[in-house]
Parts: sequence; C-alpha cells; structure tokens
Amino acid sequence: MTPRRQFLAVLVLGLGFLTVFRLLEPTNYQIGLLMRCMILMIVTIGLNILIGHAGLVSLGQAALYGVGSYVAAWLALKAALPFLAAMGAGILATAFFGAALAYPTVRVRGVYLAVITIAFGLVFENILVEWLSVTGGTQGLIGIPRGRVFGVLLTRPIYFWVVSGCLIMAFIVQYTIIHSRYGRAMRATAQSENAARALGINVTNIRILAFVISAILAGLAGGLYTFLNLFVNYETFTFLHSVGFLLMVILGGTGTLLGPVVGTSALTYVVEVLQNVREWQVFAYGLLLALIMFVMPRGVVGSLEDAVRRFWTRRGGRESRAWPNRGAPLPDLLGARPSFEGPALEIRGLTLRFGGLTAVNAVSLCVEPGTVHALIGPNGAGKSSLLNLISGFYVPTEGEIIFDAKGIAGLPSHVLARRGIARTFQNTELFGQMTALENVLVGLHQHYRSTLVETLFRLPRWVREERRFLAQATQLLDFVGLSDYADEEARNLPFGHQRRLEIARALALRPRLLLLDEPAAGLTHGEIEDLTATIRLLTDHGVTVILVEHHVEMVMTISDHVTVLDYGEVIASGRAAAVQDDPRVIEAYFGTGGIDVRRPLAASVGG
Amino acid sequence: MGEVLQYFVTGLSLGGIYALVALGFYVMWEATRAANFSHGDVYMFGAVLTVVLYGSGFPLLLAAALSVAACALGGALIERVLIRPFNREPNAIGWMLTTIAVGIVLESGTTIAYGTLGRPLPTALARQPLRFGGAGIYPQELLLPLAAVAAMVALEMFYRRTILGRAMRAVAFNPTVAGLMGINVRRIAAIAYAMAAAVAAVAGILIAPVVEATPSMGTLIGLKAFGVAIVAGISNARGVVAVGIAYGILEKFIEGYISTGARNAVGFTVMILMLLAFPQGLFGRKEVAKV
Amino acid sequence: MNWDSSFPARRGLVALAMAALALATVAKPALAQKAEPCIAGSWELSGPLAHTGLAIRMGLEVAVDEINESGGVLGKKLRVIAYDDQGEPARAVDNTRRIGEKDNCIIMIGGARTPNALAIRPVLSEIGLPWMGVISAGTRVVEWETGTNEWMFRTSMKDRWVAPFLIEYALKRSKSGKIGMMYEATGWGQGAVPDVEAAAKARKIRLVGKETFNLADQDMSAQLIRLRDSGADALIFYSVDREANAVLKSMDRIGYKPVIVSAWGITGQLGQTAGPLAEGVLVAGTFAWTGDLSPRATKVWERIKTKFKLSTPGDLLLPSATANSYDAGYIIAEALKIAGDYDRTKLRDAFFKVRYEGIIAKYDPAFEKSMERHDAIIPSHYKMLTYHKGLLMTLEQTPYALKK
Repeated sequence: MTPRRQFLAVLVLGLGFLTVFRLLEPTNYQIGLLMRCMILMIVTIGLNILIGHAGLVSLGQAALYGVGSYVAAWLALKAALPFLAAMGAGILATAFFGAALAYPTVRVRGVYLAVITIAFGLVFENILVEWLSVTGGTQGLIGIPRGRVFGVLLTRPIYFWVVSGCLIMAFIVQYTIIHSRYGRAMRATAQSENAARALGINVTNIRILAFVISAILAGLAGGLYTFLNLFVNYETFTFLHSVGFLLMVILGGTGTLLGPVVGTSALTYVVEVLQNVREWQVFAYGLLLALIMFVMPRGVVGSLEDAVRRFWTRRGGRESRAWPNRGAPLPDLLGARPSFEGPALEIRGLTLRFGGLTAVNAVSLCVEPGTVHALIGPNGAGKSSLLNLISGFYVPTEGEIIFDAKGIAGLPSHVLARRGIARTFQNTELFGQMTALENVLVGLHQHYRSTLVETLFRLPRWVREERRFLAQATQLLDFVGLSDYADEEARNLPFGHQRRLEIARALALRPRLLLLDEPAAGLTHGEIEDLTATIRLLTDHGVTVILVEHHVEMVMTISDHVTVLDYGEVIASGRAAAVQDDPRVIEAYFGTGGIDVRRPLAASVGG
Repeated sequence: MGEVLQYFVTGLSLGGIYALVALGFYVMWEATRAANFSHGDVYMFGAVLTVVLYGSGFPLLLAAALSVAACALGGALIERVLIRPFNREPNAIGWMLTTIAVGIVLESGTTIAYGTLGRPLPTALARQPLRFGGAGIYPQELLLPLAAVAAMVALEMFYRRTILGRAMRAVAFNPTVAGLMGINVRRIAAIAYAMAAAVAAVAGILIAPVVEATPSMGTLIGLKAFGVAIVAGISNARGVVAVGIAYGILEKFIEGYISTGARNAVGFTVMILMLLAFPQGLFGRKEVAKV
Repeated sequence: MNWDSSFPARRGLVALAMAALALATVAKPALAQKAEPCIAGSWELSGPLAHTGLAIRMGLEVAVDEINESGGVLGKKLRVIAYDDQGEPARAVDNTRRIGEKDNCIIMIGGARTPNALAIRPVLSEIGLPWMGVISAGTRVVEWETGTNEWMFRTSMKDRWVAPFLIEYALKRSKSGKIGMMYEATGWGQGAVPDVEAAAKARKIRLVGKETFNLADQDMSAQLIRLRDSGADALIFYSVDREANAVLKSMDRIGYKPVIVSAWGITGQLGQTAGPLAEGVLVAGTFAWTGDLSPRATKVWERIKTKFKLSTPGDLLLPSATANSYDAGYIIAEALKIAGDYDRTKLRDAFFKVRYEGIIAKYDPAFEKSMERHDAIIPSHYKMLTYHKGLLMTLEQTPYALKK
C-alpha cells in the first residue's frame, strides 16, 4: 500500500466512523465532546508539522489557538461580523503571529526558541486578563451569537459537519505538505541546516512556512471553538494547555500522519476518565505524561511503525553497484548550462579574520572552467575556510570572489546554491533520518516550478514534476551505484556509501561548480579510484571542481591545477608536478629536516 | 522619592529570588545542556517542607537543613531518572516534558497533601519592617539578594579553586572529552543538579516567612527564572545574578509606573526583545561552530 | 522516518482502536423524563482554590447525611457527586452537561468562581437543570442582563448587596471619610467594581482610589503607596488569602494601616499566616462557627468535625460557604417534598414555596419570582466577622465592635 492509498483509506474510515457515530443518536454532551476533540486535532496537526517535520518546538500553541478564538469572538460579538468573516479574520491574525514567532528562529534555536514561545504565551495570557475593555478580562466574552453561513444557522447537528469538514481539510493539508518538497525541505532543515542551505533552501523561509501553517490551523481551530462554545475565557489558553498539545503530539507519535488524531483522542478520552478521580485529576495527568515519555517516547503510532518496520525489513542484504555508472544519462541529469566566459571562479585578495585569528590571508587564485583545481596544505591551513567562503558560509573580511563574472562574496549559501555552486562537507552532512532517495530529492528542491497551492491541491503540474524528479533522483542514485539503497535511511549507510550519496545529492543541484571537502577521507583504495573516475567523468561533462584533499596521490593524479595553502596564505600554485617540487611546499608539509623526501614523492606519482 | 526607593528595595528582594533560582538553571545547564523545567517547584517544595517540619515541632534551622537536603537529593534523582535518558541527542527535548510532568505531579501532590492555603513560618527577621526614606522592607527579604551574591561568589570559587569544580567546568565545555580524561560525567551531572536544587530550596525557605508557602508559589517564578538565565546567556554566574536582580527591579518599576497588570506582559516582552537582540544572551559567548 | 514505504497493518489497527475508543463513549442516551436523586457539583477541587470545593462538600454532605438518616426524600436517599473543573469555565460547561445529560441529576450545585457560573447559564436553560449557587457571589449570576433566569438559584451572598454592606461599615469607621478599594484581577474582583462604585454613589461619596493586583503577586507596595497618597484610611477589599497576606505585609512595610473591610474571599487561615497583622480586619459573611453557637449549629459542627476529622471550629476556613451549602441542602430537600416528584421543572417551581429555618436565617420564603430574589439570603441576614487572636469570629464577640 502506497502512502497515498493508506491516506485515502484513513479518510474513508474516518468519514465512516463519523457517520456511524451520528446514526447512534448520541447526546448533546457526547456530540460536544467529539467536536471539541476534533477541533483540538486541528491544532495538533499543525503542531505536528512544526515539531515533527520542521523540528521547531513551540510551547505557545495554545496562545495561537487563543488568538484565533478571541479575534473571531470579538468580531462576532462587538462588530457583528458574520461567521465566515470572523473566522477568516481570526485565521489571518493568527497567521501573522505565527510568522512573527518564526522570525526568532533566524537567530535562536532549540530551548531558546521554546522560551520565546513560552514568553509569547504568557504575554498573551496576561493581555487577555488585563485588557478588560476588549477581552472581557477574566470573565472573557460571553453570549457570542451562533454562526450563520449563507442564511443557515449553525446549530449543533449542522456544526458537527462543519467541524468535521475542517478536520478533514487539515488532515489533507498535512498529508500534501509532508509528502512534497516542502515537507522534505522542512525535515532537511531540521536534520542538517548547513546541508539544506547548501542545496538552495532558504532556511528562514521554510521555517516561517512551517510556523504559518501551524498558526493557520490553530487559528482555524480557535474560530471553530468560539462558535461551538459561544463564549471564550482565558483559562482555555494557558501554558498548561500548550503543554497538553505537545503531549498529544508526542503521545500520538511526532511526525507521523495519524499521530495527532490518535494522540488527541486518547488524551481527551483519558481526561474524561480522570474526571472520576476528582482532586487527583491533575496529579494523574502529570503521572501519565511521565509514563508516556518513558514507555512510548515515539508515541502510539510511532511505536507501531517501528514494530511494523522491524517486521517488514528487507530480507537479504542490499548490494551497491559500481560507480560511476557510465550508463547513467549524465547530461540530462546535469542539465543544460551556459558555459563560462573566462574563468569559472576568481578570488582576489580574500581575507578572513576571526577576532585575533587570521584564517585566510590575502588569497588569490583562478579556476578555469571544466578543470579540477585542488587545494592542499597542512591542517589548519585554511582550506575548509576557503571553501566555506566560496560557498557562502563565511563572510570575508576583505577581498572579492567572482563567479561567472559576478561578485558573490558575502552572499548567503542558498543563493549561491541556486546559482550553481554545490558542495560536500568534511563530516558528511546527510539528512540522517531521511532515505537516500529523499536526500537526493532535496537536492532537486529548487528545480520545482510548481507553487505551494499546486502542491497542496495536487494539480497536474505538480504531479508531472514530482514524477519526473523522482525518476531523476533514482537515476542519480543509480549513477553512484546506490539504487539498491533508495529506501534505506541515510544514517544506516556504511561510511563510503554516505560519501557517494552526498555527491549524488550535490549533483542533483545541477552544479556548474562543485566543491568537494576531503571526499576521499576514510575511503578504501578501491573507493578512491572510483571517486577519481567519477570526478573525471564530471569534468568531462563540463562541471568545474574544486577539491580539498590530503591524499597527495589522488591530488596529483587528477588535478589540473594545484594551490597550496599554509597558515592561510598561498605558498604555491601551478601544475601538479611543479608544485610538488616546490621547496616551500615540502617545508610546509615536512619541515626543514634535511631529509630528502622528494624522491619517494616523485616515485609514487610515477614521475 | 519614597516610591522609587520602595520599588527598588522590593525589586531587590524579588530579584534575589530570580537570581537564586536562575543560578540553579545555570548550573544544571552547564553540566548537561538541559535543566529541570520545573525548578520553580523545587523552590516551592523547599519552603513547604520546611513549614511542615517546623509545624510538626522541628526547630527552624533543623527543618530548613533537612528540607535543603531532601531537595538536593530530589534534584539528583530528577537528573538520573528524568534528564539523562532523555538527553542523549544534541537537540533532544524529551527532558522538557518529563520535567514538566514531575512539576505537575509535585505541585498537585503538594496541593492534595498540604492544602492550598499557606502556613506561617515566623522568624525574627520577618517581624518588624525596616523603614527608611519613605520605604520599608523586612530584613528577611534583604537576605535574598545577599544570598544570591554569596551563592555566586561561592560558585565561582568552587569552579575555580576546587577539583570538583574544575571537573564540572570541563564537563560543561565538552562532556565527551571530559569523560575521556577520567571524569565521571554522570556523577558530575548528579552533583550539579543537587547543588541547583539546594540553592532553589534555600531561596524558598528564605522568603517563606514573608510570603506564605503555598503549592502554587513556584511555577511562574521558575518560568521567569529560566527566561532570566537564558537572557543572561546562561554561561556565567555573575551575568545570571545581575540579570535576575535587574529583572526583579524592572518588574517593580513596571508595576509602579505602568500598571500591575502589565507586569508579566511587559516583562516577558522585554525578555523576548533581549533574546532577539542578543541571541547568545547578554553575557553569553558567541560560539563559532566549524562548518 | 520513512515516508515512502508501506505499512498496511498499522493503518487498520489504529483506525479500529480509535473507533473503539470513541464508540465506547457513545452510551445509550439518558432519558430526561425522571431525574436521579443525586445532587452534583462542578467545583474547584484542585488548584489554588481547592479549599472552596472542600468547604462546600463539608456543609452539603452533612446535610444530606442527616436527611438520609431520617428516611431521605420521597422515599429515596440522596447522594452527592463532586466533579473537578479546576476553575476553568470550559470544564464547568462540560461538567454541566455531564450532570444534566449523563448523570441526569435532579439539581446542580455551583462552586466558587463567578465566570464558571456565568458560562453555564445558557447550558442550564437549554437542558432545563436547576442550579443552586453556594459561593459565587457575582450579581449577574442570577440577575441576567439579557433574557430571563429561570433555573438558577443561590444560597449565598450577592455582590450587589455585599457592596453597600461593606461601604456602610467602612464609612462608620473611617475618620476622613475617604474610602478606597483594593481588588484582585479576577472575574470576582473586576466584577465587583461596578457594584462597589454604585454603593458608594448611593451614599454620596466617591472612591478616592481603586487598585488591583494579580494572583501570585508577592508585593503590592506600588498600589498601596498610591492609595495612601490619595488619603484613603478605609479600604474595601476583594481578595483571597494568599494575596491578602501579601497586601497586609506590604502595608506593614510602608507603615500604612487603613481599616480593611473585606468581602468574603479571605478565610480563617489568614489569621494564622498574617498573625497580628490581621487583627481587626473585617470580613463580610453569612455565618461564623466560632464563639457561641445555637444548639442545632453545635450538632452540625460535631458531625462535620467527625466526618472530616477537624479539631476546632477555626478549622472551618470558609465558614460562610459551609453554612451556605448546609442550608442549601435542606432547602433543596424541602422543595423536593413540595414538588412531590423527582422532576426538575416541578422542583424549580417548588422553590418559590419553600419556607424553612436554617442555621443562617429563617427563609420566609426562600425565593421569589423576581430575578433579584433568586437569592435566598438577603442583606438583613449578612454578618460581619473579624479576626481576633488568629481566629475569625463575629464582630460582637470581639473588642472591635463599635459601641452603640
């Protein structure tokens, strides 16, 4: 069963359940209970996207829920706005605050972000209590008129279907977002922000998107709540309720599709049952929270998934194929790119200073298109720093970097990635919990032309693109011989395979300039030969490569041009043979010791 | 003039509480990159337990000492059971929820066992207020900022002069390498949490004679102290204490010149703005990570 | 997390589980014709006002025990059900539906919080469930500003009547005639402000200052400085214990000692925690269990003492609430007898015919048709209590009573 069929099956089952429920003639109390449960599910679906996919912990979701609720309530009560307008305004207001909350993620993460969301929630609570004239203070707003849509009064039985409809919509949105490049980009950003940037993803924007989606859902739920209860009170939107939402997401299974539904209904049911223990209610609630964390940290659905996965793992091992696979359609995969006029990359007087340390000192070099330009030097020479400068991870203190006749110094990495600069990292920065295929798909992220709307509604252009890029990703995996590993999580791959995957992913960007940061480190002799062949194949197809390496053999074999750095300065630059005889280079590597080591070096390179 | 002085001295006492509880967060965070989210409830429990023991006939100092010891033990236990298993990955957040859970259990359990109403804890320093320049304060309350500064000095000396302290700093810097040097990282973490809990308990005990010990006294204080620690940069004791005391004074001035209702809204907004302006905290070290 | 592989078994399992869970809550709908002999309440049993729930239970349960011992009502024994709403209006609404539809009780008892009582107004009308308040004193609870109150009754104080009561005592004891107000920022405190202002206006004075404070505040010096500077030497006070203690301590700090006339949020415990600072603070109430009691009240106290394991009458921290719920229990029983059946509408109509002598007052009749008189306890029944030597007692029993 593909994810799509599962999703449709759940939808059908859900609708069936709701219909059966109504046919059993429940009391108003029970209908109300289920409606409230469904409204909470809408909030937790949004929170699930935020936490489970974008990796952002919000402990202020109840406040967003409250914004939607109070705005709709106030507009309906004081401004006599009709149902749809009030709800719409509530959603807009919440979306605004969601975006505002996303902004801090530019600078803070993890616990710091959690503190900001908590503070936001407490500020909101305080405003609700104090701003008597608008919010009704501790009494809240009562006597909200029942909603009316196109003249139909939304009494309880009809409203039930309104709420159900909204929940189904939210569920669909969750699915379409998760299984799309936006969902992949969110997960990528959460797992390795640097790699995501290097693949052209605007990390801030994707986080804002996640926050705004979760906020819109919370705002929708808030409005629905207002017109269900017909009164709003600050006690519903406290910090403890934000904790409750978090608990529902975790109990269900963070990041799973059905998790929010299961978690919310389980917790609502549990709270109902706990009513019977009266004053021990809150105590039992806390114990339950602790118990869930111990016994089922992956949540109900998450644990079930794990169990099923263990049952369904592939019998028999996976096999990797030889690489590079010369049968792969490299020209298609690399796309048609204009050729460079003049040098691909030019660096003039580039300097990088961290406080008192000068990592890169007035470096100048010139990289011709279609060549392999190696950067070598002892440890700490500034090679990786130089790569980071070129790929936009560091901002230079002085100097220029010119790529394709345009200055790029100081531009952020995701912009450079879109211009065609791809890179790999010294410590492989794969998206560990995503499959090999998904990793490569992230590389294809910014080739998509379909918009968010087309993605959400699965319009034809999106379907075509997704299908095409899925095929391309498979071909890229094939190119590096990893097609057998397509559905294996990247963190489970053996080290050499991880390196291959990182290259495949970088190639998905259709780079004109490829920066490789010590790609041979940790590879076996055979793997290094394959790597060399791959690099050569790439340059044959017009890709320019800058290679940082310690394997002197490999460097000398494959490079067209070698630049040697020491203490952040260029001490030699030229053809491989010339550089290796340069006395300054020898001194930098081996020091002056009087031992003549030139001969072994020349011998190993076959000179 | 009298009012400015009044806001200042009551702010000093309130800030002392924030500083002491925030110091606890600092110690816990440095040792484990995590903290007891419900540290405020430890502050509460220290006060409540002392009141209960005193009410059953224990002499005041003994009740306080037993209370501090119990809280220290509790802190170490929390680290072992609720933090360690949930803090394995670098960005783990499980510890947030487990410690929130223990806070809920502690507060509601105390409510059931102790009741919701406060009980007295009479001390000599809380009987007559000191009045000067139109302002007044109980001497008991001045103990708090004094205790905060004393704790800060003691902590710095501990970190610098004792082997255990240096070991703790090593763990804060790089637990893996510290472990390789033979430092028992787990024991350090437990000790750090015990220290933090003890300091919070002391804060609760010091203020209980003035403010009744009730089960709900800790939650908001804990959240604010956490915010204070984060805004200060949670990486040096002096900054934490300074920001804690400053925040207490800020709150009082907001109450005095804007309105009492605005206190939380304005205070937390200031916190958010500070964090946005100084993402590493006011006194934090900017870490340049190797890419 | 693997997004593109298939787990067919999981989906069905989980969907089934969810369905089972929810269907389990769909029991047979209760028939609403005949009601059960249960008196149910949505009270605050946990959280900062948990002592209010307990105080209600003490009076109500003893009343029900006594009634059951003499044979119950209409041949059936009454039972008391308590639900915890944690002070949240949304939960109170839930519990109302539970009580009215699921448990199908004959009557619901209210709790301490006025916002909760206000939130359930439409639900009570919708279900047709009688409600008896025993603490929440907000005027709007029974005197609705829109629509008619048909189902809500109260055996407790009413803020609109408490306010003039407090103002009168304040005026008698103020030397300068300047009266201020200190109130908590909750539904109760904020809701009382218009009542107090109206009462002041009726006596041709204005409040010279109004200051508010939040729950959990530890120091109110800012507010008190402003009140002191406005010249107020008597304060109308709306607060509960913890904050009241902080207020008294703040007053001590700045050396400000006005007369305090408080509405009844503060309990006997304040005498213990504030100690000498509470001396002479006046508290409005309906009843005091300390001092000399009538023979009947003494018997009731003995039962409460045994059942809830108390030692002295000072342990009854909310004396008025306990007395209110005791009398309420008997009023309900009397009304049931007049109604002749466990029928909610008949019970509601019978309330207007109840004449009964309780421990607080002689109710003659308990209720009248006007919304204003859905309150059984009228101002002439109100009493003023004060703290003396750490205990809350009636004014007459202390040195603080004014000489005539």
